[in-house]
Amino acid sequence: MENIALKTTNITKYFHDPVTIPVLKNINLEVKKGEFVSIVGKSGCGKSTLLYVLSTMDRDYEGVLEINGVQATGQSLNSLAAIRNESIGFVFQFHYLLPDFSCLKNVMIPALKLGKFSPKEVEARAYEKLKMFGVEELALKKANKLSGGQQQRVAIARALINDPAIIMGDEPTGNLDSKNTGIVFDLFQKLSHEYGQTLITVTHDEDFAKRSDRIVEMADGEITNHGHR
Amino acid sequence: MKISVNTEIALTYLSSRKKQTVVAAMGVMFGISMFIFMQSLMKGTNDYFEKSSFSTTAHIRLYSENKVADAHMLNSYLKDNSTKILTNPKQLQQSLGLTNPYGIIQNIRKNPQVVAVTPQVTTNVIYASGSVNINGTVAGVNIDEEDKMFDVQGNMKEGDLHDLNRVNNGLLIGKGIADKLSLHVGDNITVRAGSGSPMIMRVIGIYATTIKQIDETKSYANIVQAQNLLGKDRSYVTDIKINLADYNNAPKVARDMETITGYKAEDWVQSNEQLKAAFKIRAIILNSVIGVILLVAGFGIYNILNMTIYEKIKEIAILKATGFPGNSVISIFLQQAVYIGLMGGVIGVIVGFLITFMVSKIYIGAGTLKYLPMSFYIPHYIEAVCFGILTTIAAGFFPARKASKVDPVTIIRG
Ligand SMILES: Nc1ncnc2c1ncn2[C@@H]1O[C@H](COP(=O)(O)OP(=O)(O)O)[C@@H](O)[C@H]1O
Ligand SMILES: [Mg+2]
Repeated sequence: MENIALKTTNITKYFHDPVTIPVLKNINLEVKKGEFVSIVGKSGCGKSTLLYVLSTMDRDYEGVLEINGVQATGQSLNSLAAIRNESIGFVFQFHYLLPDFSCLKNVMIPALKLGKFSPKEVEARAYEKLKMFGVEELALKKANKLSGGQQQRVAIARALINDPAIIMGDEPTGNLDSKNTGIVFDLFQKLSHEYGQTLITVTHDEDFAKRSDRIVEMADGEITNHGHR
Repeated sequence: MKISVNTEIALTYLSSRKKQTVVAAMGVMFGISMFIFMQSLMKGTNDYFEKSSFSTTAHIRLYSENKVADAHMLNSYLKDNSTKILTNPKQLQQSLGLTNPYGIIQNIRKNPQVVAVTPQVTTNVIYASGSVNINGTVAGVNIDEEDKMFDVQGNMKEGDLHDLNRVNNGLLIGKGIADKLSLHVGDNITVRAGSGSPMIMRVIGIYATTIKQIDETKSYANIVQAQNLLGKDRSYVTDIKINLADYNNAPKVARDMETITGYKAEDWVQSNEQLKAAFKIRAIILNSVIGVILLVAGFGIYNILNMTIYEKIKEIAILKATGFPGNSVISIFLQQAVYIGLMGGVIGVIVGFLITFMVSKIYIGAGTLKYLPMSFYIPHYIEAVCFGILTTIAAGFFPARKASKVDPVTIIRG
């Protein structure tokens, strides 16, 4: 059991606006450590909603979520924040950088919060991450001066800064050309295979999904195929 | 120096919206400088009036007061235990003189709080010169001690007050008396005290205080002359005037003296009720003005932070998503409030001092008051900074708490 990174038991979630409808129905998902999983499905089937639940940000659901063998369901806001800071890197669908800060600072902030490394070390690590995605020359630019694709790459760099056990991405390559999508994919694969980090990505990119370790298919708030080989 | 992420974020937010930050800080600065200015003006004014009241009033005046008749005499005469009924009791004229005044004075001097004690003979008189008579009072004093307590020298217009010790029948008169009777130093004046016979005295000096009523009635004589005027012996003393090291202790010390001596001890607070009332009214006006100013400054901070939070709600969601707990978010926004408060506070203290200083140089020249009385009192500045910081923290707390409650998913989901 100890090689399970993330596990859900009967997770069900409703939206009440305008009428109460179930968006997630009895989701039972298990992701192993070091696994690279893609979640696919039609638009509106509940992929993003599921990812927010898995990321511990959304607490309004039924069922149980376990991360690294620890039950996250029912924990306090503060301890969930600490779990996210240390163990989960999240790439949002619409990248979401802090516009008043430089790219470098944007990448550094979660690490400064964690406080595991000195500010000097954090800066060096942040540069390293930016370099991996070919945006190191943008490091000192303000985040709101960047193109969508550049912002997305900085956002991925930020998700990796604390070497999180689990990296979640909501269409992390949605704004990237095929070359950069390739770079991101290769890197994700390297993180999972060489460094044992777990990756859960929602994607519309069929190639991207096919090359990952496993494809989880969703439809209408349910998992229709767990993709185990 | 290592600054925390929260601080770094707070400072970045402040500097990325410089204009609003400066405006909010100006609000605080205005509040604090006004606070300092008003406090300095009020304390200056209060001190001035207090000081000028002490130029005529001692901290404590001990004298013999008339008493209402009681059953005391009846009791000692009718020694049985019958019930005595006293109808319509009247005030009894006591001897105006104090019994054993020099013994009392010696006793009073033993109190370590007392810095000056002087006996005095006060009597109502009629001044006459030519065919004109006016009413007044003569204070028989030891002029050296009187001068030490009330700075008579500072009020002298003509003549030398020490002549009271040298010239037989010398009299130091108020300027009002001199004007009414057209008297100059060296002239003679007839003084008659109640039942006593008239006495011809010599004007040795003329003084003027800020209080017209005193100048028109009061004159000083040597205590021995006053006793002669009344036909009394050397042990006749009507008042004992006492000054303390700290006049704020006067009420308490006066009560003690009353119990020890059995005479009435009137402290300056009792004899200057209107002064105290004026202090109180000024304090109320001042505090309401300060309250309004600080409220406005606080509202400025509240407003700017509320706007920041409204604009930065997405970023707050990001911070929380990447693992900032609620209290970090509170800290980020509260720090912004505190920095605005500190900035406004430091400038406010400087501006407040400058305003106070400049106003203290404005010439008004009303009577003896040449310049507006301003006090430069360090605790005002400390209070101002404390109040300023308290206001900013209070104003910043509610927006900060609101920010900490932002639910990241709702914002990020869009
Ligand atoms: N805040 C919301 N209130 C009500 N319904 C919502 C809300 N957000 C999303 N939904 C609905 O929930 C379903 C799943 O949405 P989402 O998880 O974003 O789908 P996907 O990411 O797979 O495209 C959709 O039908 C969507 O309309
Ligand atoms: Mg989606």
